Amino acid sequence: MSANRELAMSSYVGIGVGLMAIVCIEVVLTFQHLPARTLLFSLLCLAGLEGFVAIMYLMQVKYEKPILFWTVFPATLFVLVLLCYLWPDAFRMFNMRLMQ
Amino acid sequence: MAVVTQHEALMEPSPYAMDKKKLGMWVFIVSDACTFGAFLFAYGYMRIGAPVWGTPFGLSSIVNGMVMTAVLLSSSLTMLAAVRAAQTSTKAKTNKWLGITMLLGAIFAALHLREWIRLIGEGWRLFHNPTGGATQFGACFFSVTGLHLTHVVTGVIALAFVARGFNQGRYDDSHVETAGLYWHFVDLVWMFVFPLMYLMNAH
Repeated sequence: MSANRELAMSSYVGIGVGLMAIVCIEVVLTFQHLPARTLLFSLLCLAGLEGFVAIMYLMQVKYEKPILFWTVFPATLFVLVLLCYLWPDAFRMFNMRLMQ
Repeated sequence: MAVVTQHEALMEPSPYAMDKKKLGMWVFIVSDACTFGAFLFAYGYMRIGAPVWGTPFGLSSIVNGMVMTAVLLSSSLTMLAAVRAAQTSTKAKTNKWLGITMLLGAIFAALHLREWIRLIGEGWRLFHNPTGGATQFGACFFSVTGLHLTHVVTGVIALAFVARGFNQGRYDDSHVETAGLYWHFVDLVWMFVFPLMYLMNAH
């Protein structure tokens, strides 16, 4: 890690406050009683944003060589995308439920 | 004739330009992220397929979850301070920040167990739904949050070992940094577990 490029601790506190603010937005959205699909999409987007900030700044990937990012994240995302093979069967069950 | 005794002298430098321990931790984090991903996908699968899903979390549980999030986020910041202290300052300062991080981790675990005890008191179990709906909610909730709680408790124990080793001079700042990487990952996972397991199940 190249310590000279890192942020000051006060900046990290700001990042922590920002992350907590996103959590507050998530809670407010939850109690708006949005449709489940809209709420899920909103929560996943906000959680993804939080995760990206945490990876780049708290886990300090921003200050590592870019090869780390390009080795780790595309491979992990690829595995997680592959897990989407489950959804067609889940929606098959969902549709069977509606027909009952 | 000069004899090379250090193996490192014969090896190419790592393209990642980082400590071996840290690179190993990244490999672990990738595998663990896939494990949590699989758990959350299985939860989504079961939730879509279940006819009626339990939504046991009221405002008090969500506020409890927000406090847990704040505690875990604060512990990430104190962990960063511990890494900084290990790199630049004294053992005492490093131990102080590691101690605060462990304390916050223990508080998180206690708050989590309080939520579990409340749910169990209401009749929720791994395979039982007290409202008569789908039984999978308990299985999903206790499995995912239990796996995360195990990571938190393991992290607190690991930090205690690192703090002890650092104090005795057996470990250096790279050990603290590697432990910190794990701790931030635990925080990162919670950022997905909280909205998916708590907020999506609020009534």
